[in-house]
Amino acid sequence: MIWRLVAMVAGACAILAGAILVAHQSPIESLTTLIHGSLGSPTAIAGTLRESTPLLICGLAVFIALRAGLFNIGVEGQLLVGACSCAVVAVRFPGPLGMVLGVLVGMVAGMVWALPAALIKAYRNGHEVITTIMLNNVALFLTSALVSGPIKDKTQSDTATSFVAQTTRLPFVYKTQTVEINCALVLGIVLAVAMAIWLKKTVAGYELQAVGANRVAARFAGISPQKVTVLAMSISGALGGLAGAVQILAYEGRFYDGFSPGYGFDALGVALLAGGSAYAVLPSSLLFGILSKGGTALQIDGVPKGITTVVLGLLIFIAAAIRYRKVTSDA
Amino acid sequence: MLNLLVLTILFSTPLVLAAMGGYTSERGGVINIGLEGMMLMAACVGALASARYGPVGELVGGILAATVMSLLHWLMTQVYHIDHVISGMALNAVAAGGTNFLYLKLGDPAHGSGLPHLPITFFCISAIVVPFAIWIYSRHTRGGLRLLAVGSDPDKARLMGIQPVRVRFFGLLCTGVLTGLAGVELVAYTGVFTDNMTSGRGYIALAALILGGWRPVPALIACVAFGFFSALRLQLQGTPLFGAQLPSQLWAALPYLVTIIALAGLIGRNRTPAGLGKP
Repeated sequence: MIWRLVAMVAGACAILAGAILVAHQSPIESLTTLIHGSLGSPTAIAGTLRESTPLLICGLAVFIALRAGLFNIGVEGQLLVGACSCAVVAVRFPGPLGMVLGVLVGMVAGMVWALPAALIKAYRNGHEVITTIMLNNVALFLTSALVSGPIKDKTQSDTATSFVAQTTRLPFVYKTQTVEINCALVLGIVLAVAMAIWLKKTVAGYELQAVGANRVAARFAGISPQKVTVLAMSISGALGGLAGAVQILAYEGRFYDGFSPGYGFDALGVALLAGGSAYAVLPSSLLFGILSKGGTALQIDGVPKGITTVVLGLLIFIAAAIRYRKVTSDA
Repeated sequence: MLNLLVLTILFSTPLVLAAMGGYTSERGGVINIGLEGMMLMAACVGALASARYGPVGELVGGILAATVMSLLHWLMTQVYHIDHVISGMALNAVAAGGTNFLYLKLGDPAHGSGLPHLPITFFCISAIVVPFAIWIYSRHTRGGLRLLAVGSDPDKARLMGIQPVRVRFFGLLCTGVLTGLAGVELVAYTGVFTDNMTSGRGYIALAALILGGWRPVPALIACVAFGFFSALRLQLQGTPLFGAQLPSQLWAALPYLVTIIALAGLIGRNRTPAGLGKP
């Protein structure tokens, strides 16, 4: 099996090098540009950390579902409804009250958006991937309809809500002229640690992982897979909604059409790469943040940004193949 | 009225072709959410080939590109034993990024919308013929029955001396050809490739397949229904319905909502192939 894995990695590298050569660039130079653009200066690092924050929280959302053996591809949709509802609430109630309410409403919205998928999976045995894909699209169209109609700020031409007041935003931990680090990042890190502990030290966390490891065995041990499925998807949805709310309150300040550049999908890669540990979501999301930020630098250099999405796809393939190898060698 | 009919046919054609591509893969037990990526890749390569080698080159290039993607899915799920959903997602990511990259680097903006392409009728006729051909093939021939057997219970099929890996290879080969046709149709219709031009059609085709209970002719009907709603949406844009101004997005969301309801078991019984996703 190992040679197959080597063949795969070699193939992936060949595809990338070939693509960059086709673009009339040197692969080494492109890599330097990518790293320089994402880690080369304090400003670049702060930008990378900013990109990593939604990926981290969304990655945790996908991760917790994955531990229960569920693919929550719907994080994208949950993020959208979370962000949209948070923006509406935060605009209505300025100040710290709006901040708290916005986060709560965003989480509840994300949870509600994940529930149909959870219930259909638990009680009708419909594949959660299909339902979450459908829910994603419904969320996309719903928020787009809302933001171009009822919740649009009529005083401006963009299809967007009004800006959230500065007092309602999440504060910055560290801020200079060029470098900003928001406490959203700290929140993400705390969540990762909390999740790792929760999974390891509590009964509910243990049950969740037991169902993920083997549904049938878990049922014989007296755990209800249905209940765990609904619980895991609810937590996952709430985290997805939280990611949206945080994105509004920390960075964007308003909800607009085309809000997410696909954080929910990238998060799937983040969680897969992280494997079995919640702590591993931290470096994994940072890697994706680097790719995303560095991709922008590459674009300026004349290599289309799409190449980073290709890297992401190939990384998912490789991570999944390695994961399978581990699973089978354990058995 | 005639306009609505023509639009319905135009909108349904790529959906039908892609859904049939999904059929040959999913009835063999391979979950395929990569339909979107395969179509997109076919559209991009088709557009690039069309500028150099004309309409036939477009068709061949598109089908080849989708087939490569589809066989990559086979390689990953059947040889590397990656989870089918993960492989499909990765495929979509590679297609989304790869087409953006390829078209920006190799595309010739001078051609604009004047790409030579095959007549749309060709695609429409194949969209009508293919579902019935597949229906007859899968019910009355050895190869078709083997495909269904592998999809229903791979272990039993193995005991009967059928190699699921091999049957699925041919199933996914068909998927490549059909999604390739669907992708080329999109380029032939619009005359130009744009980023993410499939815009979820692969997922809608999958939805139609599910709604049709993984059967070719009902899936065809579901596709036409979805096509009809897209056409209606275009026709009704801006006109009030029942005295209220409905946003066009609600029409767009309709196929997805109907599919969720169908999956909840509220329409008909559960017809999911029993071996879907099994090694």
